[in-house]
This record gives sequence, C-alpha cells and structure tokens, in this order.
Amino acid sequence: MTHAESQELLLDLACGELDTGRAAEVEEHLAGCAECRAEKAALEEARRLSAPLREQEEPPAGFDDRILEAARAEARLQHDGNVGQVIEVSGNVRPLGLEAARIDAHAPVKARPSPRARPKWMIRAALGGSVAAAAALTLAVSTMLDARRTAEKVSQERNEDYRIRVHAAAPDAVDSAMHDAEARREGDRAGAKEQAPAPTAQQPPPPPPQVALKKKQQEPVVQYAPLGNVPAKGEVARSDKDEKLAAAEEAKPQGAAAPQAVAVGSASNDGLAAGGSGAVQRRQRAASAPVSGTAAAPQESQVARGAPAQTAKTLAAAPPGAADIEARAQQARHAGDYALAASLYQKAAGARQREGDGGSAAWNLAHAVECLAAVGSFDEARQVREELARLHPTETTAIAAAQRALREVDAPGATPSAKPK
Amino acid sequence: MAQERTDEELLAAYQQGDPGAFEALLRRHRAPLFTFLLRMLGDREKAEDLAQETFLRIVKGAQAWERRARFQTWLYTIARNLCVDQSRRDRFRRAESLDAQGPEGDPPLSESVPGKEIDPGRGAESARLRPLLQKALLELPAEQREVFVLREQAGLPFREIAETTGVNENTVKSRMRYALLGLRKALLAAGVSEETAADEPEKDARLGRA
Repeated sequence: MTHAESQELLLDLACGELDTGRAAEVEEHLAGCAECRAEKAALEEARRLSAPLREQEEPPAGFDDRILEAARAEARLQHDGNVGQVIEVSGNVRPLGLEAARIDAHAPVKARPSPRARPKWMIRAALGGSVAAAAALTLAVSTMLDARRTAEKVSQERNEDYRIRVHAAAPDAVDSAMHDAEARREGDRAGAKEQAPAPTAQQPPPPPPQVALKKKQQEPVVQYAPLGNVPAKGEVARSDKDEKLAAAEEAKPQGAAAPQAVAVGSASNDGLAAGGSGAVQRRQRAASAPVSGTAAAPQESQVARGAPAQTAKTLAAAPPGAADIEARAQQARHAGDYALAASLYQKAAGARQREGDGGSAAWNLAHAVECLAAVGSFDEARQVREELARLHPTETTAIAAAQRALREVDAPGATPSAKPK
Repeated sequence: MAQERTDEELLAAYQQGDPGAFEALLRRHRAPLFTFLLRMLGDREKAEDLAQETFLRIVKGAQAWERRARFQTWLYTIARNLCVDQSRRDRFRRAESLDAQGPEGDPPLSESVPGKEIDPGRGAESARLRPLLQKALLELPAEQREVFVLREQAGLPFREIAETTGVNENTVKSRMRYALLGLRKALLAAGVSEETAADEPEKDARLGRA
C-alpha cells in the first residue's frame, strides 16, 4: 500500500470502518511510516478524548406526548377506512397524493368520521366546489377500496354514517351521474360509503323540503353538514343524525339503492355534474339544513372551515411574509381555488427560499404540484415538480409527495426527472 | 418481536395504520436524536424542540416515504436541516444582541468549567468532562461538527453522512478528520489529556459501531 492510499484510509481505520483485510494492509504500511503512525495515533486519541460526547442523553419527560398524539391522529386519518378521514385533520396534515388532492379539489363538503372511530380531532373532507363532490368522493373511495377490498364489511356498516346531501344540481346531470355511478358500483361493489353525514347540530331546523330545494335550485352545490365542526359532541350529532336518518328512510324510494356513489370521470373536471338521484335529493330534502362553515366549534383546528370569514380570522394572526402567503395559499386551497392556491404556494416557496428555509420552500412547491394536479394542470404541475427536484434535491419527502400527486398521470414506465433518491 | 423489526419495517407498518409501530420507532430513536441535536446546538431546550419537530415531520411525511429510503438517513436529514435553520436564526439574533451575550453567543462555559480544575480522578469523570467537550465541539465549524456528531454519536457510516449532509463521501471524511484533529487540539489546550480521560477507551470500544 502506498503512503497516499494509507493516508486515505487512516480515518476509516481509526473509526473502525475498515474490514480486517484492508485494515491489515494499512497496518503494514504503518509499520514503516512514522507520519501515518503519528496521524493515526492523533485521530485515535481524539476519539478517546471525546468519548463522553458519545454517551446518550434522554430527552425530558413528556417529550413523546405531542409526537405520539400526532402519530395516532395521522394513522387514524389515513387508515380508518372512512373517506372523510383521508383528507384533513385539524391542523396541518399534508395531503398525500392525488386522491387527497382531488378530494379537496372541490368546494365545501364535509364528511364526518364514524362515531366509533371519531377521536377528538375533527375530520372532514374538504371537498369543494360547485360540482361533483360526490364524484370526487367516489373516486377517492374507489382508490382507497383497492387497498381495502377486504374491509368491505366494515365499510358497509359505515355506509350509514356517510351520506351526501345534494342540493339538487342540474337534475338531468344528476340523474345521469347517478346512473354512471350505479354502473360503476356494480363492478366495484365496494360499499362506497362516505356519503354525506347527516347534518349536525345545526341550530335552524330544516326548512320544509320543497322550499329548501327550490332555494338551492340555482346553486348546484353539494353540501355536507358541517359535522366536522363539532367532533367532540358526538352524541348530539348522532341523535340529530338518527332523526334525519329516519326521515330520509321514509323518503327513500327504491330501497337502499341510494346515493352511495355518484361517480363522474374526473374529479378535477370542474364542470362535471354530479349530484344525486331522486333518492339523494329526497334524502337531502329531508335532511337539508343550511350549511357549511357556519357553526364552527373552536377546535384545535386552524383548517379553513369553508367559510371565508372564518379563515380570514385565522389569517389575521398569521405573521407577514412567507407565512402569510402560505396561509393565503392554504385558505385558497381549502376554498377550492386550486389555481390560486398553486400560484400562492409557488410565491411562498420563493419567499421561504429567500429566508433560507429550503425545507419549507420545497414543501410549498410540493403543495403547488398537488394543487395543479387537482385542477388538471398536469403540464404545469410537472414543471413545478421538476423545479422542486432541481432546487431541493435533498428534500426527498417533499419530492415524493409531488411525485405521488402526479403518479396517476405519469405515463407508465416514464421516468420522471424528479425521482427522489 | 417488535423490537426486532427494522426501522423500515416499522415505518411501513405505521404507513399501514399501526400507531404502535411508530411508537417503537420513536422509542428507538428518541434519545440518539435528542443527543445529536444537543451536541449540535449545546442547548437542551432547543434540542428538545427540534427533536420533537423532527419526529412531527416524520409523522407528516410518513405516507410519502418510500421504502427504499433508509429511515435513519431521513430522520437525521430532517434534524440536520432544522439545525441549520436554527443556527441561521441564532446568528441573526446574535447579531442583534451582541451586548447581551458573548461574541459567540454561547454561555461562557470556560468560566464555569475551567480545564485546570478538572478532577483527574475517575468515576463521574465523563460527566465532568462533557461540558468542556461540548464547548470544544461547539467551537468547531458547523460542517465539521455535524459530521463528527453524526459519526460518533449517531453512529452513521460515512456514506450515509454524505447523503444526509448533501456532500460527497470524501468531503465528509476530510471534515471528520479536521474535526477530530481540531477537537484534540482544543482539548489538549484545555487540559484534557489521556490521563484525565483515562477511563474512556473501554467505553470507546463498547460504543463503537458493531
């Protein structure tokens, strides 16, 4: 072994990273080289002297609490099998891919977790928009169901917990969407549940069905009762629900056929109609309460509640600068304005970058990708993803998130340039 | 059984919805990660905050994690990046309040633990030495310090340190070398010698990487 080679390996030797064969070769050189010997001795001495630094210290009591709480919340969020729970928990859970992005791609719809599993956190699907919340849900459900075919029974049990109340959209479109959904469901038979939850403890009693229907006629909006808002009050929500259920049951014409799946091709296609069949409408009439975003029990949630006013309040407290832009982006996202959200996230990324916070910048870009994917701007989404990969090659989790948001549209076998390592 | 699962298996189980798997991961890594941050920052409170933040990021990112990535590398990459951010903030604050603190912004450890007074005896030796060592460590350039701590305390091999810090392996090794030689020099100058640290070699062997 040459002196230069030996020099290269002295550190590995001193740190115990050389295999025995290689170590012997270096030792052999050391025998005849005072310089290398001295250096090795110095390195070893440094390691001995600094040994106390290697001893482990325990974090203080209570260290785990927050972490475990978050971990359990996230696990529930991802895996309770309820669509309403795939999406948002109180606070800042990052949507994790196209399903989620699609789901929150539509306007204010709130789903409620099943009574059994509902913890303190509030869970809701932030579906939005004018359209086919139901379609988005179906999509999401079917995606999830791929993974959960075996959980069929469970989800059927839960069907009753998720019921979409559709304020009659364009009735024709609704019917045809229903039709499609039926067909799809036959194949899938997945027990798509997650329909809109029954309305929660909403103060004003449901207006007479006909009236409600008429009023809403102009706005093809799918609305959920804001169940998520009062998570801790399961009992209330529940009894209320049961009542509504009974009413809905009466109104339901063809048995259980119902509103489970109102499928439409792509959730990101905003113009699509969705809605419900007669059953849905009737049910919804029976259950129609004015909706969305009003009640808002002050949970630990800073998630936009769907009501802009409320979001505005949370924003007032946000610090200026990047955080401010992020808050606005989040608000836009929750309001279903994905295009705006995407551009704000990109702006926020720039601001974070200037602050030297590459990690946040990367995540903002990842969110931008998700939002762009949610509205179907896939080309732009890809560009942002590439930018993310280029600027922040070490932010592998953000890159992976961006990757996931696009994986369904990436050509099979294509190698996206933004592969996380 | 749970103890025998690898980090990656545990994280995969957590992805599948098993919170217990995450708990096991946390148990396994909490002390090493906390210690890593403590060594890097020299401040318990900050170390605790950042260690929590690191795990929270793991929680949030868990669904996006891909199995081929090593958990430990990911964990320390996050922690290390948080450290970098933190020290940027600290530097900024320090610039603002030069009067309030010493020019380094560090507590004047040298006053409370003068090297000459170190008890050359045994026993609580390393506990006594640690503040002095910590001070010497904090005086190393940050990029040397992180390599040193990742290697010596967190036990990452050079290859993973390279991945974590985003530089190549040769750079990592040369930083490690400078870190060791720099520490040695500082410690000898402060009166820590082979005698005062005489009970350490066995520990060295014990803690060395398997």
